[in-house]
Amino acid sequence: MKKIEIKFPSLQGPVPLLTLGILFLFTVCVYPFVVLLGKVFFSAEGGGFSFQYLAEILESASTYTAILNTLLIATGTTLLCSFIAIPLAWMLVRTNLPGASRLRSWCSLPYAIPPYIGAIAWIYLANPSNGILNLLLGKSIFNVYSFGGLIWVMSSFFFTFILLSLLSALDRMDSSLEEAARLSGARPTQVFFRITLPLILPALISGALLVFLASAASFGVPALIGSPARIFLMTTKIYTFQKMGSLRGIYLAAALSSLLLLFALVILVLNQRLIKKLSFQVVSGKASRPSLIDLGRWKNPLFLGILCFVGLVLVLPLGGILITALSSVQGRFSFDNFGLQNFRNVFFGISETPRALKNSLILGVGAATFATFLGMLLSYVQWKTKLKGRRLLDIFASLPYAAPGTVVALALIISFSGPFLGFGPSLYNTLWILWLAYVIKFLSFSIRTTGDGFGQIDDCLAEAARVSGASWWVTLKTIWYPLMKPSLVAAWFLIFMPAFSELTMTVLLTGPGMETVGTLLFQLQEYADVSGGGAAVLALVIICAVALINWLVKLLSKGKYGL
Amino acid sequence: MSSVSFEHVGKSYGSVDVIRDFNLEVKDGEFVSFLGPSGCGKTTCLRMVAGLEKNTSGVIKIDSEVVSSPSSGVFIPPEKRLVGMVFQSYAVWPHFNVFENVAYPLRVSKTKKSEIESRVHAVLDLVELGGLEKRMPNQLSGGQQQRVALARGLVMEPRVLLLDEPLSNLDAKLRGKMRQDIREIQQRLKLTVIYVTHDQLEATTMSDQMVIMNKGDMVQVGSPNEVRENPINEFVRDFLNQ
Repeated sequence: MKKIEIKFPSLQGPVPLLTLGILFLFTVCVYPFVVLLGKVFFSAEGGGFSFQYLAEILESASTYTAILNTLLIATGTTLLCSFIAIPLAWMLVRTNLPGASRLRSWCSLPYAIPPYIGAIAWIYLANPSNGILNLLLGKSIFNVYSFGGLIWVMSSFFFTFILLSLLSALDRMDSSLEEAARLSGARPTQVFFRITLPLILPALISGALLVFLASAASFGVPALIGSPARIFLMTTKIYTFQKMGSLRGIYLAAALSSLLLLFALVILVLNQRLIKKLSFQVVSGKASRPSLIDLGRWKNPLFLGILCFVGLVLVLPLGGILITALSSVQGRFSFDNFGLQNFRNVFFGISETPRALKNSLILGVGAATFATFLGMLLSYVQWKTKLKGRRLLDIFASLPYAAPGTVVALALIISFSGPFLGFGPSLYNTLWILWLAYVIKFLSFSIRTTGDGFGQIDDCLAEAARVSGASWWVTLKTIWYPLMKPSLVAAWFLIFMPAFSELTMTVLLTGPGMETVGTLLFQLQEYADVSGGGAAVLALVIICAVALINWLVKLLSKGKYGL
Repeated sequence: MSSVSFEHVGKSYGSVDVIRDFNLEVKDGEFVSFLGPSGCGKTTCLRMVAGLEKNTSGVIKIDSEVVSSPSSGVFIPPEKRLVGMVFQSYAVWPHFNVFENVAYPLRVSKTKKSEIESRVHAVLDLVELGGLEKRMPNQLSGGQQQRVALARGLVMEPRVLLLDEPLSNLDAKLRGKMRQDIREIQQRLKLTVIYVTHDQLEATTMSDQMVIMNKGDMVQVGSPNEVRENPINEFVRDFLNQ
């Protein structure tokens, strides 16, 4: 037999990896959404294309209300967040506020804590029957189970999205533009409204749209606070439909999800357009030391004001959780009521706790490790090669990141509840589906962080290795990987943190034996543990984990990442 | 050591030509400079020999081996070409010490440990870095880093040594010494060298042949004396009289 020689010129270098990467990413990041939309439009009773489920959703009064509620809450949250973040950012960067750098990191801290922790904290503080604040005041003044409560709790976390975006824009902005206005005779307030605000408008808009998207996609807060008040949002409505357990429920959930997905995509496209239109090229890359505006006699009152704000969003909720965790009987403030009984209960009394902790750790480590390396390969292809099709990878990977978690989870359920890709075992009801959900949702963090890292390493270091006789793969191993280590460590923790405490996707994907810290806390708060102590203990565990990791990230990246 | 030949080599990005019909024969043991203003395509030509860029037309050969010929689908990747290269920004790896930087080409080719040891020491002595084996790159001066890069390019006994504006980041005094040292090493080891520079002094004092380039075209080729005495046009005259 004649030997057939096949040459694969394309097998040199990263081309096969790119092909594999595109296939894998398409399967896990795009395909599920295609299946989801397919289910919405092609599974009506007659078969064929129809708007049946979408029409049903829009005609039902309760889902219609949920859509309106979502828009209302998202708008309210966005407004409140902007109202908080704009003056805060300006004072922190441009004025002689005392302790600005310390305040800056305190104000950014809620960014790292999952909002559902805030939801239970505010339930302890402000529920109408035995909320700590109401008890202390002697009568029931605050009611967290309300539109106001929802908007406040979400805002106390999401304002950081606008804040961080504004802080970085203000840091990068050439302050001589403002100084020129001052010298032209403008007062500080005039400078702010005529010069500073227009220049940071792109950052403000993109932060605000992010808040709008995050609050519309939020699940934990509306589930814990909204649902008891019969205020349903799109995400909690999708959850209710899915938990009906019927095929019809899944289709209705899918239909509502496709609407929510549409929301998200419209907002992101809008964001891109507006940014392009509004961006001036004056926000330079280099940091210049701005001359600080003297707050004069307002200095101390404003400082105290910001301190109070930190107390309100950080110290008060933390205190609420701590008191609840330590109280044997809720609502009684006597010394003998404080003890570690709730801790004993959660760690030794509830059989699910060790399993939940173990699952969260395994999933966090597994997802963070895989997503970090995948993200590194993807950003390598993106930044350091000129291969055709590399843009596709980024678009694929950003889809699950942009899509609300509820939609991602539903899409995964619908696509992977059968045999995997038609022949493998089903992923549904195994930890693998949770792992996959975390990987695709948080992959973007790794792509961005490692992309930053690659940007700082000169190409000639790798070229020198190639010329020295190292293949593409050996170069990746011996040059890129060791030089990229700091970015990889940062990316790993940035993924581990949200994965460890994830709730939105997990509640939909979880099954028997698949508890995580997030779902156990949700269960304890929702059903099992009315007295509230158990959930508070778990909330403390999550807060400690977040604080520890944030500290580690800051230490390992020498202050570049972390808050 | 070996020869390098360019036959009708061209490179274009879409409709923009950066190199047009480049023909050159670099003989065994010859020191050839590519001289021209920035953006003239000299670095691109050098990187095509290394395989870091692909030519879009023509044939590049090292000895008789075709290393790149787009029309017949041949492209040898840089790691299989056995050429040494010294980069403008040194490209000394910050996470390896001097010894490991220089030993890298031998390590990836799975050379025996004892042989690595002796060859690295020999080449470090040659570039006058003996005794600095354990230093990390951030503990070295610019000139020392340049010598590490040179040693790394030499240790693999390359067929051609490529130097891309190696002296442009050094101060004037050091530059004079390095010019002499590089030429001396080249003569002693009978190296084939392609040297890219925009400094006419470097080109005229070091090379056997110089290639004057402008906007992707080869303008004149010849020994420094020939070119200086008979500049082919105003551009060459002006460039050499700066």
